[in-house]
Amino acid sequence: MIERWALVSGLCGDLDLYERIQSDLKKQRDIADLFVLGDLIGPDRNCDALLMRLRQPKRGDLQPNCIYGWWEEQLLVDYGYRGDQKPDVCNDPDGATTMRHLREAVSQEHLNWLSSLQFGFIELDYGLIHGSSADVGVPLQETTSPLILLDRLTRLDVNRLFTARSGRQFRLQLTGGQIQSKVKDHAGEGQSNQAVPKRSVIGIGSGANYTVYSPASDHIKFLSVAGRSGRSNLGFG
Amino acid sequence: MQQIWLITGPPGCGKTNWIRETLLNHGGSCAYLRLDGTSHGGLELGHNAGIDRSWLMDQIPQLEDWSEPTSDSQLSSSDRFVLIEAQQFSAPKPSADGPDPEIKQQLDRFNLTPYRMLHFGVDPELPKQDTLDFTRLEAWHLDLQGCVWDPNSLSSFWFELVNGAYGDVYRAKALMNMPDGRSFFCNWMVSQSGSQFLPLQSVVPPTGRPRRRSHLVIQGKDLIPSGIESTINDCLLSDDVLELQQAPLRDQQSNLQPTF
Amino acid sequence: MAHAVISCLHANLAAFEAVLDDIDQQGIKTITCLGDLVGYGPQPNEVVELVRQRAIPTCQGCWDEDIIDGLNACECSYPSQLAERRGHQAHHWTANCLTDDNKAFLAQLPTTLRRDKLLFVHGSPNSQHEYLLPDMNAFAALERVETAGAETLFCGHTHQPYVRELSGGSIRVSVQQSGSEPAREQEMTLPMCRIVNAGSVGEPRHGSTKATYVVHDDVSGEVSIREVNYDVAKTCQAIVEAGLPEVFAWRLSHGFEYAGAPKMPAMCASDD
Repeated sequence: MIERWALVSGLCGDLDLYERIQSDLKKQRDIADLFVLGDLIGPDRNCDALLMRLRQPKRGDLQPNCIYGWWEEQLLVDYGYRGDQKPDVCNDPDGATTMRHLREAVSQEHLNWLSSLQFGFIELDYGLIHGSSADVGVPLQETTSPLILLDRLTRLDVNRLFTARSGRQFRLQLTGGQIQSKVKDHAGEGQSNQAVPKRSVIGIGSGANYTVYSPASDHIKFLSVAGRSGRSNLGFG
Repeated sequence: MQQIWLITGPPGCGKTNWIRETLLNHGGSCAYLRLDGTSHGGLELGHNAGIDRSWLMDQIPQLEDWSEPTSDSQLSSSDRFVLIEAQQFSAPKPSADGPDPEIKQQLDRFNLTPYRMLHFGVDPELPKQDTLDFTRLEAWHLDLQGCVWDPNSLSSFWFELVNGAYGDVYRAKALMNMPDGRSFFCNWMVSQSGSQFLPLQSVVPPTGRPRRRSHLVIQGKDLIPSGIESTINDCLLSDDVLELQQAPLRDQQSNLQPTF
Repeated sequence: MAHAVISCLHANLAAFEAVLDDIDQQGIKTITCLGDLVGYGPQPNEVVELVRQRAIPTCQGCWDEDIIDGLNACECSYPSQLAERRGHQAHHWTANCLTDDNKAFLAQLPTTLRRDKLLFVHGSPNSQHEYLLPDMNAFAALERVETAGAETLFCGHTHQPYVRELSGGSIRVSVQQSGSEPAREQEMTLPMCRIVNAGSVGEPRHGSTKATYVVHDDVSGEVSIREVNYDVAKTCQAIVEAGLPEVFAWRLSHGFEYAGAPKMPAMCASDD
């Protein structure tokens, strides 16, 4: 049996969307692992029901493995979990209002659990993060400079880097290239060539757009759950 | 018939190493005794802290410790091989027909008469080592019972010690405890290249401070004991830090236990 | 025109004065300093005051930052408990010794300095604590310079001088998006850039006790690494007189870093 991964992000408190994704995944074969790459919460709807479901999955749910994303970071910074920083969202013109909505959307009982979430899952060949290896809030997309993408892959020393922040679904493969390095020091001079490694950055999408990946075959499927797509701009309810 | 040999030589010539190899090759019943060495003018003896005894007992399980013998163990056994070690700076005079008087006095207390006496640098049965000519030698030692080292700090300290940061060290040997329960025999002689760091066979559980022997003995010139002690204090683990390092090791060990 | 770049003075007045003499003798008027004016060494006030007197543009080093922000702000990890204890001891001694005026000077230092396409930092453009080693991934090294918008990056922090040129670079990519469109191929040509590490004036770690700095000609592009002899014994004596650990003097006089990694293999059997 070839086991595949489902990668999801940007649920932003939408339990209905999550249930539709779970239902979609049940219909597909061989999906063994579900990764939720951050933005489980958002300011636009009450998030408690979704958080309870993620923390205590129902029978039949694919067990979700969650990491924190940008909205989680804003909330944790606001509650002082990151020292003296201020949430980035406060720099926006409506920042104060947005933060108030976010605080109202998440019951404090979930804070410790949110603060226990990791920055990413990094193992062997794979890195699964919300934004970039340098910053949870910075998106990586297919138009990002390949030099920066290569650096972000190198920082985690992984061959496949899955990211969600941009909300886009893409696969950028580094297929070739090289660079020459000459070093002179007190001991003498030396020269070497370094080749671009065969690595990929994969944007998994957001909201109703999600991705299924097969580690065995390295095959990607960009999918969308039926119904609404993208982030909801509806209010509470 | 029981064989008793006396092995003498200046510090760091390799007495203990030779004794270890000889007893391992012998393989049978054996015993070891280290005597206090002979004094000699301006040359201070290294403190007999039991480091060599502990090291040999660890390496040779059947070795009897004759530093506190019972009357039973001194009964002549058919093929027991007894090696007695003593530090002696100068070679025995060719006309001498017995051991140095200071050594003989100690042998008499143990009621022992060596069958053979071998001195490093004189007798061809012993390996040829570069033995130094000592004109002045200071000695210093520190009991480290119950002390546990940060391993990387020990490496840095030892490097400084043998490279002259605390005076001219000619000879250094020690038994040092690590937080994971291992103990190392550390050995340096200025005439040899490189230090030896040899792990003892016996490893104690990582449950606090071990009770076994731990000591540092140094011989050299212009030693700086205050500097040595100050650095050692910075290398040793406090109770809190020791517990922080040992707790995960204990967890690992309990996870490996089979469950039924 | 030639200009000099110095770094990591570490409160070593004799070394700093010798380097300034060497620079002055070459008729070089422009000097830039990459920080770590203080730390471990015995003359922090004298070194800071000489920098101020000579009006040398300086960026803030990791030690300068730590003296201002306190030990809790320090991101450095030490290779052993011994190194950490010595580092903290040096930190407390320096913080107690520095005048408020000199501390205020260190606090206002910028983290980077820029002149045309030349960028001056202590560690890297990302952080005062990041080491740019000569063997780091070449693409990552290029990314540091390129993202900062520079062609030549001057850095310190490692205490080992080198000049690294990265050239002839390219990256090819293939991009696939959702939908049935075929993958797009692209190629990016990478610009040539250089990373120049100035080594250390006050605590050299390149295998010699000589102070090092670099001279760069911004017209020809040539970079030379300079080594300067100085009276090490004078600094060693000052270390002892200041009440700093005497072993610091031994380490400096042998070209070892003050709080360095173990030099011997940790707890392994010898070949004897």
